[in-house]
Amino acid sequence: MNLEVEIAGVRLKNPVIAASGTFGFGREYSKLIDISEFGAICTKGITLKKRIGNPQPRLCEVYAGIINSVGLENPGVEAFVNDELPFLKSFDTKIIANINGFAKEEFVELTKILTSLVDMIEVNLSCPNVKEGGMVFGKDPEKVYEITNSVKNVASCPIIVKLTPNVTDITQLAVAAEKAGADAISLINTISAMAIDIETRKPLIQMVTGGLSGPAIKPIAVRMVYECFKKVRIPIIGMGGIMNYKDAIEFFIAGATAIQIGTVNFINPKAVYEIKEGIEDYLDRKGFNSIRELVGNINI
Amino acid sequence: MKLLEVEIEENVKIANEIFLLSFESEYLAENFKPGNFVNILIDKDSIYPLLRRPFSISFVEGKRVYIGYKVVGKGTNLLSQKSKGEAIDVLGPLGNSFLTDIFDGKVAVIGGGVGIFPLVGLCKELKNRGNKVDVFLGFRDLDSMFLVERFKDICDNTLIATDDGSSGYKGNVVELFKANFSKAEYKVVFCCGPKPMLKAIKNLNLPVKCYASLEEKMACGIGACLCCSIRGKDEKMYHICSDGPVFDIMEVEIE
Ligand SMILES: Cc1cc2nc3c(=O)[nH]c(=O)nc-3n(C[C@H](O)[C@H](O)[C@H](O)COP(=O)(O)OP(=O)(O)OC[C@H]3O[C@@H](n4cnc5c(N)ncnc54)[C@H](O)[C@@H]3O)c2cc1C
Ligand SMILES: Cc1cc2nc3c(=O)[nH]c(=O)nc-3n(C[C@H](O)[C@H](O)[C@H](O)COP(=O)(O)O)c2cc1C
Ligand code: FES
Repeated sequence: MNLEVEIAGVRLKNPVIAASGTFGFGREYSKLIDISEFGAICTKGITLKKRIGNPQPRLCEVYAGIINSVGLENPGVEAFVNDELPFLKSFDTKIIANINGFAKEEFVELTKILTSLVDMIEVNLSCPNVKEGGMVFGKDPEKVYEITNSVKNVASCPIIVKLTPNVTDITQLAVAAEKAGADAISLINTISAMAIDIETRKPLIQMVTGGLSGPAIKPIAVRMVYECFKKVRIPIIGMGGIMNYKDAIEFFIAGATAIQIGTVNFINPKAVYEIKEGIEDYLDRKGFNSIRELVGNINI
Repeated sequence: MKLLEVEIEENVKIANEIFLLSFESEYLAENFKPGNFVNILIDKDSIYPLLRRPFSISFVEGKRVYIGYKVVGKGTNLLSQKSKGEAIDVLGPLGNSFLTDIFDGKVAVIGGGVGIFPLVGLCKELKNRGNKVDVFLGFRDLDSMFLVERFKDICDNTLIATDDGSSGYKGNVVELFKANFSKAEYKVVFCCGPKPMLKAIKNLNLPVKCYASLEEKMACGIGACLCCSIRGKDEKMYHICSDGPVFDIMEVEIE
């Protein structure tokens, strides 16, 4: 079975992508698994300048999920290009750079630097863990349009726009991104959330609120992929709580062309192998010849 | 570092809420260095607890690997219910280790609560290298004491502090250590325990090198998620799981 999928002309040998922020720059996991198994690797969010991120604690666990407030800690674009990219390029997988800015100009600058160096750029308009930029932009369809458009003007590689679920109607963001020329959209980023220690009455993470990921968010993510699939023609990359191949299949049926896996990497670093194998078996078992036949193929 | 499926050999209660678990793993036993930890997936199909749980490797004997833990929440509670023959999924060895290339010197090792566990392996190694080892152990009370006999077998001096004075010195282990430090002329100090303890040790501004094993909430355990970051004194970010858990206590901010 051929698991190949295509996103804006870029061929991924399979539809499983490592989600941004959960896979570093691939280096750590490469000691544990063959990272060429991924169709693509989406890097930790990169900013123009180095960022040290948010104070501790940055993580807590809740029912069926985790809340994090890492806050885009990263070494900055220059260090990424010099120290991390050559290593990533030594693997047989596509590279998606996840970029973050605090103003439109920063997204444009980052795109100019990276566009000829990576296979695709994922514009993160959805980080819930920074005070400016990120989700603050990403909630406003006009801003999504404006930034996507500016980035597209300087990009030679395909542009994916990563949307936030922390809005009433995510399809407005999807439509804005498509209109502005986005080549694909990815959803969902983490959902704004909070947990409190009832003994101390203190929030469990220092930033008070953070982003929820893991199985808890999957039904919401599937619904959002489904809604966006009905509204846009560009490919959708779906994610949120995928733990196994069954979860992945749900996303394809809802309308995703490819999927990203995040939190599951922490729990089962071999998830990529199992999910790929499971997808293959499923397609075989159901008599599909390709993933394309499954995308959006829902019985309602 | 490898993903391993191991079978529990023993999982016994050794003090109030404290368990000692062991399993055989040639790979871990051979590659273990004092201070290393493992990330255990307690129940594969569970969505709560969801993440792996980090535990120090306490010590190894032959092929047998020992882990000690305190029951504090859902994960450790589930772990305590596992019995001989049950499989657990272990990722390790992880992290750096205590600096042990010290030979024929005199060292102090300070531990508080579950921070005592990784110190067993450390003390063994330090002794093997011909050092004189004084260990200072802090417990809440008599019922929560564990592994004391083992330390007595390994170390030259084993000094105990309990909060309520039910055994040894009444008070905290840092005070006990302070009372002994000036005359002992230690070459190096090692410590592991709760943050307030480590902070108090840092505030002593010891004239010798002091290495501390730190803890932070962890998701991946290998340096990929950046959840366990700690600020170095130079504003550089370190990751407790991969750059640590052992740090020169003066080089990092302990908040
Ligand atoms: C490097 C390292 C080594 C450790 N070694 C030991 C040891 O040898 N013996 C021992 O008893 N404990 C040790 N701990 C602490 C141990 O990991 C926690 O007590 C345990 O994870 C609690 O899990 P729980 O499900 O019972 O608690 P819960 O409170 O239900 O846990 C919820 C979440 O918080 C995380 N968590 C909770 N407490 C801690 C903590 N103190 N440090 C890191 N993550 C935490 C858990 O992994 C989980 O994600 C170590 C921690 C670290 C970071
Ligand atoms: C620790 C952590 C860090 C993350 N960092 C980023 C990031 O830098 N950029 C980004 O676009 N998304 C980031 N995300 C969001 C994930 O890429 C993904 O959208 C989300 O976790 C949902 O997928 P999951 O449930 O499979 O983890 C992060 C998620 C986690 C858990
Ligand atoms: S736990 Fe993921 S970086 Fe340390």
